[in-house]
Amino acid sequence: MTALVQIQLTVNGTSHEAHVEPRTTLADFLRSQLALTGTHLGCEHGVCGICTILVDGRAVRSCLMLAVQADGSEIMTVEGLGGADGKLHPIQEAFIEEHGLQCGFCTPGFLIAIYELLKDNPSPDDAEILDVLGGQICRCTGYQSILRAVHSAAAKLGAAGA
Amino acid sequence: MTVEIPKSIEELPTSEARWVGKRTRRKEDAALLTGRTRFIEDLVLPGMLHCAILRSPFPHARIAKLDTSEASAQAGVVAVVTGEDALRWSQPAASAPEGWGTHCIASELVRFVGEPVAAVAATSRYVAEDALERIIVDYEPLEAVGDPFAAMEAESPLVIAEKGTNVMMQRLFTWGEVDQAFADAAHVFTEKFRWNRLGANPTETFGAVCEWDPMNLELTVHGSIQAPSFFALGRAATFGLPSNKVNVKSQAHGGSFGGKGGTRGTDIACMLSRKAGGRPVKWIEDRMEYLTSGGSQAWDRHYEVSLAVAGDGQVTGLRVKLVDDQGATGEGYAAISAAKPLAAFTGPYTIPVAEYDLTLVATNKLPAFPYRGFGPPPHFFVLEQMMDIAARSLEIDPAEFRRRNFIQPDQFPFTIPSGNEYDSGNYEEVLDQALSLAGYQELRREQAEAREAGRIVGIGVASAVEPGVFDWNAYRSVGVPGIGVPEGATVSIDILGMITVRVGFSLEGQGQYTLASQLVADYFGTDIDAVRVVQLDTQSAPPSFGPGGSRLGVAITGAVLGACERIREKMCAVTAVLMQTEPDQIKLRDGKFGIPGVPEASMTVAEVAGTMLARSDLLPPGVDPRPEATHVWTAAGRTEPDEQGRAKSYLTAAQAVHVVMVEIDRDTGFVEILKYCLADDCGTRLNPMVVQGQTEGSVAQGIGAALFEEYVYDADAQPLTATFMDYLIPTINEIPPTEKAEVVTPSPFTPLGAKGCGEGAIHTTPAAVMCAVNDALAPLGTMAREVPAAPNRVWNLIRATQS
Amino acid sequence: MKPAPFEYLAPTSVGEAIAALQEFDGEAKILAGGQSLMPMLNMRLARPGLVVDLRRVADLDYIDERGGRLAIGAMTTKRTVERSAAVQTGQPLLHAATVSIGHPQIRNRGTVGGSMAQADPAAEYPAMAVALQATLKVVGPGGERTLDAEDFFVTYLTTALEPGEVLTELNVPVFDTKNGWGFSEIARRHGDFAMAGAAVTLTLDDSGCCAEPRIALFGVGATPVRPRTTEDSIRGQRPSEALCQAAGKQVSEEIDEPLSDVHASADYRRNLAGVMARRALADAMRRLGADIASTA
Repeated sequence: MTALVQIQLTVNGTSHEAHVEPRTTLADFLRSQLALTGTHLGCEHGVCGICTILVDGRAVRSCLMLAVQADGSEIMTVEGLGGADGKLHPIQEAFIEEHGLQCGFCTPGFLIAIYELLKDNPSPDDAEILDVLGGQICRCTGYQSILRAVHSAAAKLGAAGA
Repeated sequence: MTVEIPKSIEELPTSEARWVGKRTRRKEDAALLTGRTRFIEDLVLPGMLHCAILRSPFPHARIAKLDTSEASAQAGVVAVVTGEDALRWSQPAASAPEGWGTHCIASELVRFVGEPVAAVAATSRYVAEDALERIIVDYEPLEAVGDPFAAMEAESPLVIAEKGTNVMMQRLFTWGEVDQAFADAAHVFTEKFRWNRLGANPTETFGAVCEWDPMNLELTVHGSIQAPSFFALGRAATFGLPSNKVNVKSQAHGGSFGGKGGTRGTDIACMLSRKAGGRPVKWIEDRMEYLTSGGSQAWDRHYEVSLAVAGDGQVTGLRVKLVDDQGATGEGYAAISAAKPLAAFTGPYTIPVAEYDLTLVATNKLPAFPYRGFGPPPHFFVLEQMMDIAARSLEIDPAEFRRRNFIQPDQFPFTIPSGNEYDSGNYEEVLDQALSLAGYQELRREQAEAREAGRIVGIGVASAVEPGVFDWNAYRSVGVPGIGVPEGATVSIDILGMITVRVGFSLEGQGQYTLASQLVADYFGTDIDAVRVVQLDTQSAPPSFGPGGSRLGVAITGAVLGACERIREKMCAVTAVLMQTEPDQIKLRDGKFGIPGVPEASMTVAEVAGTMLARSDLLPPGVDPRPEATHVWTAAGRTEPDEQGRAKSYLTAAQAVHVVMVEIDRDTGFVEILKYCLADDCGTRLNPMVVQGQTEGSVAQGIGAALFEEYVYDADAQPLTATFMDYLIPTINEIPPTEKAEVVTPSPFTPLGAKGCGEGAIHTTPAAVMCAVNDALAPLGTMAREVPAAPNRVWNLIRATQS
Repeated sequence: MKPAPFEYLAPTSVGEAIAALQEFDGEAKILAGGQSLMPMLNMRLARPGLVVDLRRVADLDYIDERGGRLAIGAMTTKRTVERSAAVQTGQPLLHAATVSIGHPQIRNRGTVGGSMAQADPAAEYPAMAVALQATLKVVGPGGERTLDAEDFFVTYLTTALEPGEVLTELNVPVFDTKNGWGFSEIARRHGDFAMAGAAVTLTLDDSGCCAEPRIALFGVGATPVRPRTTEDSIRGQRPSEALCQAAGKQVSEEIDEPLSDVHASADYRRNLAGVMARRALADAMRRLGADIASTA
């Protein structure tokens, strides 16, 4: 066992200090040490995108980061997106309305990837959406409902912001 | 008491259904979308340990030495198990065919890459994996066999030596005068096809937390388990436990598609728990384990198919010879996938006679498991290619050729040669809708123009039948007993009129908790959000199988409505006493019990329930005071198979027509889907939003099957597809949008007229895409006989025409 | 799939990183964006004694225009590169190669230096660097040196970096309208590693004939491959569809036996290399004003 490393990071607005083994992945840290189990693991080799979270505003694979690399970072997981006060984020609402999820296991990763996309680009076209969603695997939906949900969420956010 | 279950939405006790048959948002979604749904990997129990499994790198080898002492001594390791423990504590896995199971950990021989040889329970998965590296195993490699034809040769190494052969089962089914039909036929077409291994790959792999109670000799398994009661029986058999001493609690899980697998890992975690004095042991299969060693692989098939066709284009006979590579054991029940085509052998056509020459072969590959569709998708791939070969040869348009052979609406219920009965359908209407949606004639014109311009463009028109509501009797021929698959639900109304439905299956993605709520809300006239659905474990639940074989939507509808009917009868009896009339005078309508034509005689469901539970003084003596009932639904009229395997098995027959246009890049062999249209008929759509979702998802899996997904082994049975970079799940970039049309021909035999539709489009999609590919290739004088039509393969075909 | 144990260091200077690499004598691995190293760690295919994380090293994240060239710090993420106006206008081939890598979620973490040092033969960046005659700045115990991209990639996953050396900068030329370029790749799925690809640069001489053609192929050899016979045969020729066709054919013929895997046989890769070279070359010519059909 190697020496533990102290890290400090902010997750969903809450500051945490923790001691981690260097080898602990960020995904495992969030799930095990912070009990944020909404971030799921699908492949642990960076292909499926299910573990996608926001690190310093960027959507990244949490299985391809060590917890120690997140020292000093600001992180958002699906738990930070909406729902804490019983109110869903417009992207989540759009997923319900468009049936953008079935088993729901891949969904947190999609939500975060879409969150980043719409933050940068409030009304993306299909090609721009596909560029991002191409990095997320879903086995249930066939993606068409997710594509509809992204457009719908963009419209909701646009209307809310207008 | 006989329970009459409504056969249509109109028969529900409501003036107008507000939920059933309507696009209804899923009550499952909010928790899933906020990361609150608890999947198995999220479950943490006090004292829980983590399991990691050491697996064989050889497809066939003798274990000369196994030393776990260093691993056992490592800090953080609590228990280690090996094949010796498996021999001591467990039985070989149950299997189909029977007698082809092995122990969960190999003790002397390993028979496939990925077979467990030892396992560790430690304080974390990291530590457990560290310990695996300290286990010393010396293997003496043995000759392996990875090809089923080689495996049938006399000199082949034997996968399970005690069996004396690698042929797990060989059987010839003959339905009618097949020889005569082929002798009389104006045309006989014969082709060989290859369907390569592929499989489920749900985004969540399998996982379980196992607790062995050493004092009471009881076992509790929490897991991402598709069929909890079946799984519980399997564990009881494996460990020699009484069946009532195994309790399975299935978690919500991240998809299954039949290929969750997990029995070996569960049994290993159970033994580790036993060795660790009963501490819970969690086993989470990782993706590489799933791909190489899990329930991931299905349908490894070699076909030879013949079609007999009369001069007028009537298909008069079908012969299918299938050699199915089952892998090393029968533990995955993959044999049922070879048997299921009996339920729809001749597809949507009136082919009068047929023959099925079925051989199941063991090789040193991963044991095969089921996958969405459970076997017919490859069968329809070959049948539809044969239909096109015949149509092309007879110069009949493929859509027209199918039309000529369709079962007609007035022929239902229609018994196919292999014995199953199709309930209802209107196949020509479905075809017309699909063709119209696609603009078929215009597409053909576009294709002609594209060909003029030198492009390789093809159109596929394919149709298939989806057998719905599986029945065990369909699998009798591969050694699985039983007729009927009971599904139960308990509906309870509490003292304040709030309604709870208790079921025996967990969330998997198909929206059945919403469906149960839709049914109850419309039945008792409540709001859908007022209905709660609760999952029970196997020790508490009514008989239940869960999702599988496109059954649960229909089955849970039967169970819930049956329970509602039983409650209604009880409540009518009570209301009748209160209203001083006879029970048959009392009607339930829009949430009120009353006497028709007497407006003042009216009580709400809550009032009657409250009376039953809180006013015993008003109840007649002997009345059952519970506003609660359990109903166990099973399909009526299922029959015992005859000597040729013929039975009324699957209750419903949904049908679809898909029209697909593809273009092939001459330079690279890449197949691009230019247009995808489909029409389907699955009877009453209980939640059209969910049906659409199942269709879209199933199309994607079908496209994966047709163009992308394949487990590759080298000649020595070594797997070459161990990651998601090798096994290609389509992303959004590979899945085109679909245009869809609906036809509704209710089933006369099912609750509300619904048909099984969960497996859905994968029955038709691979066939349709491959028909399009072959339509494109036909002018070049070549044909794709192998699935998937990967670019390298298609390029090879094109190149061969040029040399 | 959990990493084996290792020590961890996040130095704040290149010098500190070099010292750590030296101390661990070949047992240390540099962690940049982690998009290649992390899967290897998770699968326990990489088992370093020490991971040296460069994230805190100052001044490795920049894109500077200097003397007609772009200097890009090794820790610059691909997402930064892709969004850089200097790259978009000044080095379109680099931009095209960048957006062909994986997905935004990968490019958000993956770095320029990481891709170069990983030297995956199926990756876009090494071929891009060879086509662009990029130079690479390397700092080691003995000081700083500059390598031509062509000399940097030694063989499969192996570079000219000596133990103790750290790659700090990629340097590429700025293009103007006189620079033709093409980038073409083919993968089973959008975003996958390519089965084959080609990066092409090209200029025209005063008579409108091809000058300085450079083709760098990826996915077909142990390093980026330059089909020099084909380049020679293009030089001095007038751009045309026929020339692209001939060049593609020649590429297929001249390259060494490519590797074979589950997605592409050697034969098929040989063909794809020619097709990708042809398409990239046609794009390059088209960008220089040649009238070549988009189907070429």
